[in-house]
Amino acid sequence: MRLPRFLLSGPILALMLIGGSTHAAPDGGELYTEHCGACHQMEGQGGIGLPLLNEKLADVSDDYLRKTIRLGRPGRVMPGFMRISDAQVDAIIRFLRQQSGTKAMTFSEEPIVGDVVNGKSVYMEHCTKCHGADGSGEGKGTGVTLSRERSFLVMPASICNPGFLASAPDQMIQRVVSVGRKSSGMPAFGRGKLTESEINDVVAYVRSFEKRKRAQEKLDPEERPTHVYESPYDFDTTVENVKASLTGANFRIFPDRLLEQGLIDEFSVNTRQIGVRFCNFNVLYGMLKVEPRLGVVLPCRITIMEREGGQVILVVPNLRVVSRWFNNDELIGLWDRMEETFTEIIDEVTL
Amino acid sequence: MSISWIRVFSLAVLLLTSLGVSADNMIMARVSLRAELVIEYLNSSVEEHGYTIAHTQLCDGGMTDFGYKSDLYRVVFFGKIDEVRTISEHYPELVSYLPLKIAVIAEKDETLLTVLNPEALAPYFADQTLQIQFGRWRSDLISIFDDVRRSIAERIARTD
Repeated sequence: MRLPRFLLSGPILALMLIGGSTHAAPDGGELYTEHCGACHQMEGQGGIGLPLLNEKLADVSDDYLRKTIRLGRPGRVMPGFMRISDAQVDAIIRFLRQQSGTKAMTFSEEPIVGDVVNGKSVYMEHCTKCHGADGSGEGKGTGVTLSRERSFLVMPASICNPGFLASAPDQMIQRVVSVGRKSSGMPAFGRGKLTESEINDVVAYVRSFEKRKRAQEKLDPEERPTHVYESPYDFDTTVENVKASLTGANFRIFPDRLLEQGLIDEFSVNTRQIGVRFCNFNVLYGMLKVEPRLGVVLPCRITIMEREGGQVILVVPNLRVVSRWFNNDELIGLWDRMEETFTEIIDEVTL
Repeated sequence: MSISWIRVFSLAVLLLTSLGVSADNMIMARVSLRAELVIEYLNSSVEEHGYTIAHTQLCDGGMTDFGYKSDLYRVVFFGKIDEVRTISEHYPELVSYLPLKIAVIAEKDETLLTVLNPEALAPYFADQTLQIQFGRWRSDLISIFDDVRRSIAERIARTD
């Protein structure tokens, strides 16, 4: 087949060559450094994230790793990597396998039948010390030490987490309970400590955690990352109205900060773009316990801008959208309620 | 080169480069150094990437009173005036996310750096200029974190 002549022209030929390198197989090592190293450490020894050492990887399937990367651990620090390609996920897994020299296990998806009531009793006796009575690991929080005491060298897995339960088949949980995890201090319960039947009961009990999680409310596809409102008042009046309304809603207001402030000399700054920053510290610290990384979207701010022709607009982040970037159901619940407060404030300001 | 060729060329570049993008909502880096020192490396790297530090917000005041184990939580705000002006003029909906900001969270002798991946905003905007801007910010942020990691690793190697 002859290629169309235009495809052989200089620019397109150059692009095809660039494309060749762009589409080379993804580098698993680079992807690991970028996405995983912060928590699992560069050598996979673990810390906030579980260790990714030979012992752990030898006990899990590639399917478990794939689902774990995709789903993350909602409510914990492990994000769900939904936007990287399948090829990139596979490259990370290949890298982990090469580095650890392990081969993937395969597990049947066949559910394990056990007695949930007896499983709970066995679980309470042997597992709560590390995994907690509710299976959440070391209490509530995301796994970042900022939010809680860290009494273990490695964070125990949150085995009630929906991401874990969706990734780990019963047969895998059964194996881990039986052989343990030496690197993270988990004993092997299958060597005379528990009978096979008791282990199956524990697996059934762990699986029962699945039913306790509420389904996350779907976001309306029309939702935008910010709300933009037009003010019926002039710029200065709008700023004053915003402050009065925030004070009335028990927020503390920080000193004014212009959008361009600090980025250019004070004489060149646009003084008709102002961010009114505010906080309720009790609420904030409660939220930081749920999600310590909130700093990436803080402080709360309503930006007021005067446009050409004197039009004044208010720009407010849409907390319903922002909260969903954190893969944290508890935060979503809190911020959905906070969003209602913001709406009331804006209604009052623009009346 | 005629206008139509420029269009074809631009579109092809866009397609090829956008296919290579990988991203998620948070970009994070952990370094083995106290946060006070990490901020110095971070500020330096941010400026080397052509950004201006607008200000640093202290968020840790009174944090220990609420039972926190960290004594340092800062947010570093930075940006480029031209970008901020272009966006506030043409895309006012985005000003809530400007200037860019990196959270610096102390964890004893380690520090966690976290930033929102600007590409989290990409699905909401069809405009190709913005898509390129989000990609550029993301690439800069990853490069800034890489620089900080590398500089700190060299510092640790020197002192060992």
